[in-house]
Amino acid sequence: MSKVELHVQAPDFALQDFRGQTVRLADYRGQKHVVLVFNRGFT
Amino acid sequence: MRQLRRDYDEFAQRETEVIVIGPEDEAAFARYWKKENLPFVGLPDPKHTVLKLYGQEIKLFKLGRMPAQVIVDKTGQARYVHYGHSMSDIPPNEELLTLLDGLNRGE
Repeated sequence: MSKVELHVQAPDFALQDFRGQTVRLADYRGQKHVVLVFNRGFT
Repeated sequence: MRQLRRDYDEFAQRETEVIVIGPEDEAAFARYWKKENLPFVGLPDPKHTVLKLYGQEIKLFKLGRMPAQVIVDKTGQARYVHYGHSMSDIPPNEELLTLLDGLNRGE
């Protein structure tokens, strides 16, 4: 399975948030840093 | 998640957005966000498209998904990746915040 490499462009993606708004990683470029948290499930 | 919520302002001060991606559907996300009053972005990914893209390890026969964290800087480059090896293997916020301080200093 592929893993993320450092110091290269992170793979872009677009998903709808739970309110139906589309969130695209590239939209943060030049604006904010992003911490992506891959969650293991809500407990 | 509670750890992240506690320090959300610290991330915001460092010009950083927190985005949580998980395999649950949008109803489960909505319930959890409401219950926990979470300030960050929540992205349901029931088809696992981004989860696979980023290579989250899937251990079907063990303990379920392991947590992972990735910091993407303002230029879109991945600068930090942590793949958990157990359910509780989550880096402390201080580690992430220190790294973000470095990014903001141009390191």
